[in-house]
Amino acid sequence: MIHIALAGGALLIFIGIWGMLTKKNIIRIIIGFSLFDTGLHVVLVGLGYLKNRTAPIVDADLPAKAASSQSVDPVPQAIVLTAIVIGLAVTSVLLVFALKLYQSKNTLDINKLRDNTND
Amino acid sequence: MINPIYIVAIGLGTAFSLGLLRKLGKEFSFWVTIFALGAMAFISGHWLSAFLSHQITSTVITTAGGKAPFVIVFNMGMTEALFSFMVTMGAVFSGFYLHDRLIESGPSAMAVLLAGTMGLNGIILTGDIFNLFVFMEISAIATAGLVLLVSDFKALQAGFKFMLASGIISGLLLLGIIFLYNSTGTLNISELHSKAGVILKSGGVATYLITIALLLELKPFPANGWGVDLYEGAPSGVSAFIASSSATAAFFVFLKVLPLGGDISLRIAAAAGISTFVFSNLMALSYKNTSRLLGYSSIGQLGLLVGIAGLSKHLGDKTLMIILTLLGTHYLAKAGLFWLSGIVKNPNTDEWRSLRKSPVLFAFFGVFIFALLGFPPFPSFFGKWELIMGLVATKMYWWAGAILLGTMFEGIYLFRWFSRALKLQNNDTATPAVTIYSILPVVFFGFFLFYAGYYTSTFVPALRVMCLAPLLFILLLGLLDFLPAFLKNIISLAGVTAYIVYLWPHIQGNTFKIVFAGIFLGGAILALIAGFYRRGKHMGFYPMTMLMFLGLGILVDASNLLELFYGWELMTIGSYFLLIRGERSLPHGLSYLLFSLGGSLAMLFGFALAHASSGSVDLSALNHIRIMPALAYSLMLAGFMTKTASLGLHIWLPGAHGEAVADIHFMASAILLKAGVFGIILVLGGMGNTQPYAQKILFVLGWIGALTALIGNIGAAFQESAKYLLAWSSIGQLGYIVFGLASMTHLGWLAAYGYTITHFLYKGILFLLIGGVAFRVGTADMYKMGGLIKRMPFSFFAVLIAIITLAGIPPLVGFTGKWLVYNMILSKHLFYQGVVIIISGVIAFLYLFRLIHVIFLGQLKDRNRKVKEVYVWLLIPAYLMLTAIFALSMFPDMMLARLGRMLTPSFPEGALVWDGFTASSRYGTFNLQIIMAVIGATFAAVFLWLVFANRKAQKVKQFNIFYSGEAPSRPELTHYGYNFFAHYRKAVGFMATPLVTRFWDQLSQGLHGLSSYGRAIYTGNAQSYLYHIVAFVVVVYLLSAGGIS
Repeated sequence: MIHIALAGGALLIFIGIWGMLTKKNIIRIIIGFSLFDTGLHVVLVGLGYLKNRTAPIVDADLPAKAASSQSVDPVPQAIVLTAIVIGLAVTSVLLVFALKLYQSKNTLDINKLRDNTND
Repeated sequence: MINPIYIVAIGLGTAFSLGLLRKLGKEFSFWVTIFALGAMAFISGHWLSAFLSHQITSTVITTAGGKAPFVIVFNMGMTEALFSFMVTMGAVFSGFYLHDRLIESGPSAMAVLLAGTMGLNGIILTGDIFNLFVFMEISAIATAGLVLLVSDFKALQAGFKFMLASGIISGLLLLGIIFLYNSTGTLNISELHSKAGVILKSGGVATYLITIALLLELKPFPANGWGVDLYEGAPSGVSAFIASSSATAAFFVFLKVLPLGGDISLRIAAAAGISTFVFSNLMALSYKNTSRLLGYSSIGQLGLLVGIAGLSKHLGDKTLMIILTLLGTHYLAKAGLFWLSGIVKNPNTDEWRSLRKSPVLFAFFGVFIFALLGFPPFPSFFGKWELIMGLVATKMYWWAGAILLGTMFEGIYLFRWFSRALKLQNNDTATPAVTIYSILPVVFFGFFLFYAGYYTSTFVPALRVMCLAPLLFILLLGLLDFLPAFLKNIISLAGVTAYIVYLWPHIQGNTFKIVFAGIFLGGAILALIAGFYRRGKHMGFYPMTMLMFLGLGILVDASNLLELFYGWELMTIGSYFLLIRGERSLPHGLSYLLFSLGGSLAMLFGFALAHASSGSVDLSALNHIRIMPALAYSLMLAGFMTKTASLGLHIWLPGAHGEAVADIHFMASAILLKAGVFGIILVLGGMGNTQPYAQKILFVLGWIGALTALIGNIGAAFQESAKYLLAWSSIGQLGYIVFGLASMTHLGWLAAYGYTITHFLYKGILFLLIGGVAFRVGTADMYKMGGLIKRMPFSFFAVLIAIITLAGIPPLVGFTGKWLVYNMILSKHLFYQGVVIIISGVIAFLYLFRLIHVIFLGQLKDRNRKVKEVYVWLLIPAYLMLTAIFALSMFPDMMLARLGRMLTPSFPEGALVWDGFTASSRYGTFNLQIIMAVIGATFAAVFLWLVFANRKAQKVKQFNIFYSGEAPSRPELTHYGYNFFAHYRKAVGFMATPLVTRFWDQLSQGLHGLSSYGRAIYTGNAQSYLYHIVAFVVVVYLLSAGGIS
């Protein structure tokens, strides 16, 4: 199970990077970034998983004393929530830029969205 | 102490509440923002001052009473407090500077600034590596938001690239963090440090990903196209914030996390950092866009810091000092320059000429540029010194060399930019519009640079010479610049006199130092007396003159290499500003500065080798260097020879001196060149002539001296301008001195000292008076003069005596030098060099004859019929020097016997034997008084005979001549003074071909070609930049896995 998650996450990461490096439409590039980000999150959760353990929710079934030996590590799970939120923020900022770039040049082609006046 | 969590709380709290305060107006929100930033800065400043006064030690602060990793952990130590203070102060001033834009964009923009600053503080303070990721993302998003303050296309595409790049980079960071957690079970940075062993075994990839991500944040070459575009595209206030605050925070966290990766990370940092420094600066050579230049320079400086962090094992406990001085200077200067670029508005380097219309701002422009390049009295000077000393002491020669090369590249484009802004005419430009918001941050950071330099110098025990009081005096002089010139002249004279009173006890009894102090400071007095001829205000002249003389004074006063270098660099700054004052001096002043910079970098490497082999920086370290002595001595000699303008390094001189006005020409030529002689004497004294390498160096040096004499004199013979003639003649004269010194004999050194003193005197007269004549006549072209003896008899007489001395014609003291040199040539069997020296002596006759003949004799020109005698203020110092020449001619033993006694301990063999006024060498005797009597009698006899023989001669009027009834097409063609030595040009003109100039031109073109070639990498395409990042990660990993060393 864990291997599937890790392999899936890695695959998503590579697909994301491939998308960012090869697609010419900046919306697609941003989608590539999202895939990359999602892949990271999957890897994050996957690495926190420990075999034969339960969710890290302390209640009647899982007394606080037994939590550390019977539950999975809660830290990566907490982290991934934060990471998802941040990923969302970054994606939205990217989309704002995409929107503004489109408004200014009427194109989404990355090759046309560069500044040639450097000198 | 105030809990640093309030830094975050104030930042976030204010950012959110700004939305509620909307109704109170934008101006109110702005001040709330500034006040909040100030409060955040106050907290870290408070901690910092407590740390500095040793009241507290580092503390760990957690929130909500819990334990890591469930709560936020902050570490607060001295460095954290300092960096957090720097970051927040940067935000305060950038925010203040951005007033207009923030008001325009409203409270949301202010909230973004607050959140960004909070994020940067979090990056510094966090003790938890995951929170590091969070804070980095917050500040990245905030930076992108700030870029959006302007909505032009340039900014948009730059912001987009930045966001994409930082998305990938933080993804890598996150991946590294989770792998690290997986192998260590902790996210706490201090715990990670204690588990470094475990990490190295199982967390190699994890630390690699973290290190490379943090490195990529610092924009290493070549994966930094997005970074340069960001600097260029963002509004200048935001670029200032990125270059100072963001870069400081990013560097701090890199520094903190770097040790986790062990030696391999250090090697990656060293290689990536230093190559970034070199290549960024190389790339910058071919750009003219100031934001882009500043971007490359920022990236380069950060690269240098990364490299230093990587080399920390070699630099030992000096690492922190080096980092803080270089980072501090970069922080202050770069922010200042970006702010200035917002004031100038036009991004073209040449348009900065408009800044001259605000002299205060322009002065700070200069301060920032010189500080960035590590000139004193700024902190980076000390950092650069310790860096090179430390690297060379641990045998990291290539690294030190690369750093010096990168500094040279940086100097080329920064100094070019500055010089052009300083000299290009700016009548057609508008005065830059400034507000209190734009001006205050610049002024504050500028002054703080001086204070930081002073503060740093208190930690440098080797700097013992008095420099604070004179520097304050110079600063005062700068503030009094509105006064008329004669008042400032009097103040300066008082200053120099006070300095001489201070210096005298230090040099008493040391003939070597007295000679040079006499030339430098006695020369200063004479130059200032001449300065009374000036009318008006003469803005900027006096502070820079005093700076040059202070540098020269420190050279004499110096007891160790650091002080020597300090004085040398001060003198370089001052003299540059003097030399570039001439009307057409732009290219020459710039090339002077670049040669000086190159020379001082070479010298620094030489000093470092001396320090490495003796373990001390005392002047005695120059004696018998053991580590690569040939290289060390050659580099030092080359460094000093940039100032003596020896062959190959001389091309800056003719223009720089030839375009200067009278008293500046005097200072530059009669005085300043001697600084190089001073240095060469020190180096040769330390090297000796016994070692085989020393003999080779001396052989080459002797030839350089002889050929410099020849080329200098040939160059002088073909000039039309009297000033250029004198400038070339100086090159030749300095060649004699170098030749004499290279012989390493008693007579050679005696001659060199003699030339040093007499060249000061006779060239002093010539520069002052010929400069004065040129000023009166309105041109320095000799063929436009003639017959001036009638209008300027006093000048004529002084010039006549000076050229007789220069030409070495008996009976004046110039002959002494020649006699000594010929004796030395005979005793050392230097016949080939001797022939060259003798030929150049003959050529000196030619051009000197032309000088006096064409200017003073012949026919008076119509338009010169009413010119007045040269200013009396120029005649006074000239006649003082004339008196000295006569005194030395009558009593040559006064100078020579004393110099001989000084030289005898070092060169016991071949000293002159004095018997009364008669000196004897192996080859003959010499008594200048007898010679004077004989020549006087001969002259009188011939003169009387001529008077007698011409008693029937008829006086004709000036125009008793004719042109066969034809008007000449170009009047100067009919003037005998024009192209005076055309026939010689046919014969030996090829020797005046500017081969050396061509060499340097081609080198420069080659460098710029290389730089433009590198531009191909920076396509401006966001996607290629992403490729660079991914490729950088992979390539560095493969290299480090292969074990780079």
